[in-house]
Amino acid sequence: MKALSKKMLAGTAVAAAMLAGSAGALVAQEKPVIATVVKISGIPWFDRMNTGVDAFAEANPDVDASQSGPATADSAQQLQIIQDLVAKGVNALAVVPMDPAVLEGTFKRAMERGIVVVTHEADNQTNTNADVEAFDNADYGAALNERLAECMGKEGKWTTFVGSLGSRTHMQWVGAGEENAKKYAGMELVDPNNESFDDANGTYEKAKEILRKHPDIKGFQTSAGNDVLGVGRAIDEAGLTGKVCLVGTGLPNPSADLLESGAITAIGFWDPQKAGMAMNAVAKLLLAKKEVTNGLDLGVEGYNKVTVKKGAGEGLLIVGNGMVLADKATYKEHLF
Amino acid sequence: MQKTGGQLVMLVAINCLLLVLGAAISGGSFLSLFNLQSMASQLPEIGLLAIGVMLAMCAGNGGIDLSGIALANLSGVLSAVIVSSFLSSTDSETAFSLAFIAGALAIGFLGGLTNGLLISKLNITPILCTLGTQMAFMGLAVVVSGGKAVMVGSPALLSSIGNDMFLEVPISFLIFVVVAGLIAAALKFTPYGLWLMLMGTNPKAALYAGFPKNGVLMATYAISGTLSGLAGAIIAARNVNVKFDYGSSYLLIAILIAVMAGVKPEGGYGRVICVVLSAVALQLMSSLLNFGGLSNFVRDFAWGLLLLTFLAVGRYDLTGFLFPGNRQPVSLAPRPHAPKRDN
Repeated sequence: MKALSKKMLAGTAVAAAMLAGSAGALVAQEKPVIATVVKISGIPWFDRMNTGVDAFAEANPDVDASQSGPATADSAQQLQIIQDLVAKGVNALAVVPMDPAVLEGTFKRAMERGIVVVTHEADNQTNTNADVEAFDNADYGAALNERLAECMGKEGKWTTFVGSLGSRTHMQWVGAGEENAKKYAGMELVDPNNESFDDANGTYEKAKEILRKHPDIKGFQTSAGNDVLGVGRAIDEAGLTGKVCLVGTGLPNPSADLLESGAITAIGFWDPQKAGMAMNAVAKLLLAKKEVTNGLDLGVEGYNKVTVKKGAGEGLLIVGNGMVLADKATYKEHLF
Repeated sequence: MQKTGGQLVMLVAINCLLLVLGAAISGGSFLSLFNLQSMASQLPEIGLLAIGVMLAMCAGNGGIDLSGIALANLSGVLSAVIVSSFLSSTDSETAFSLAFIAGALAIGFLGGLTNGLLISKLNITPILCTLGTQMAFMGLAVVVSGGKAVMVGSPALLSSIGNDMFLEVPISFLIFVVVAGLIAAALKFTPYGLWLMLMGTNPKAALYAGFPKNGVLMATYAISGTLSGLAGAIIAARNVNVKFDYGSSYLLIAILIAVMAGVKPEGGYGRVICVVLSAVALQLMSSLLNFGGLSNFVRDFAWGLLLLTFLAVGRYDLTGFLFPGNRQPVSLAPRPHAPKRDN
């Protein structure tokens, strides 16, 4: 028994030392707490959003705003974080759902507890007070495709990449792209909806396969943030720069080299920083029981005159005008 | 005996410590009834998968079940698709719930049995076999669902499993505890439990002793599969929807829980109570870090440290190292692998 208690002591000592660092992170909070939860932390897109959340917290000292997110891209991990935040008793949640369907049950319970739920990139979320979208997804997909068609000379084989088949916004973009391409009889869609899992290396391999399978392909329309990098590298290495067009969602900084070389024709994006600020602004308005109406100015660039519709459920769908299409000539205006 | 008892004591101690630490940094709200319920309702899905991994590990010969979460998702997806083709979740709530749960369990059982057949009859190494079936199950779930989330809805019975309390305890947690108890009892009191542990300890001797090797293997993986099916039903009850890629991080966490619980990766030993406590410890720690607002990368780091701590204490008699004055006499003579049946 003596040995047992010693073992126990040693174990607890080590564990205590290990966790000591986590203590003291929490202080008594009286200000309303707005917790932003992103799909995955530590990638450039959501790091950029974090700067928006921090800027919002600085500009609004009367609320406590911060951002967290899972270390792995798994909707179950995001669900756990949200459940713990609900149990902790935050006042509002601003969530970019990994998978809206998985979070429905938890959002419902959160709202029953009086927590304000604001989402982003999830216009099909039924259990939310408000969903904030940077732009109309169909318009964005069509705009990307229009730029692609222009580069391709409105004819030739083209294909699409999505982050995953379950990613609703990505599917909407490529869907709208396909619709748009029907205007041009010469454009032929081949092997559509390749899954990239937002992994530049995996996308690179897949793009090489497609270039081998269809040597005459002329265009790629991609969706996840890292896709342009993978496809761009494949085009660059195959020496097809200028012959194959690539238009997709991407961030200016990582894409800069490939935009300069011409492997990427154009990138489309919205600024996650502004989206983070807009989500928090809406959460703050709803916490103050203020109404969000058509044409309202959220005080965030690109969200100065929002369109407010009825969402998929009881909540609102707030659409801004934050779409940016940048090419070699213009990307430097939006460097992040 | 003593060593394994130590594991249990240490798990209890870690759990207590985490609760105290949580209360300290959150000013008590960590121990609020709502948070305890919230944590308890998060536990069953991963806990059931970890018990499945434990059983597979106990079977020895490199036994492991990598297909757990994929099979859980497949059970949920396939059962939802099949059942909603002839029943509506809003019109016939109870019938839908019962049919859905039965379907999920049956699919889990069949999936597990497939693993068992491949491993016992075709002699495929478990890690390769379950890696293959994991991909097959996931692929099948993608095909059946078209890659989208499948709506299960919240019919009364299913919704109460996912959300309601019985005597302030989440029903899903009660189900988990009862199932864990049943498996612990089966391991302790039935010939199956004895066979499993002895076979894991020394497969060759077990073969010569005339154990029903194939039967035991098939039963083990079938039970593990059924547990996955149950996990799938609970995931559906809690989340309203099921999807093929839910919980992709659970695969490694379930193995982590089993190893932390002192289950021998080489087979022949494992206790259900330790697996349950180890799952509780991981849950407490992850909720604690979320309460503290710390990055989730810290959580992975902390889990890794916790695992290494357990391995060090369990394997190398760390207490003797830390307190050399009280070193216990350790017999250096090679001991035969005696079966241990103290579940």
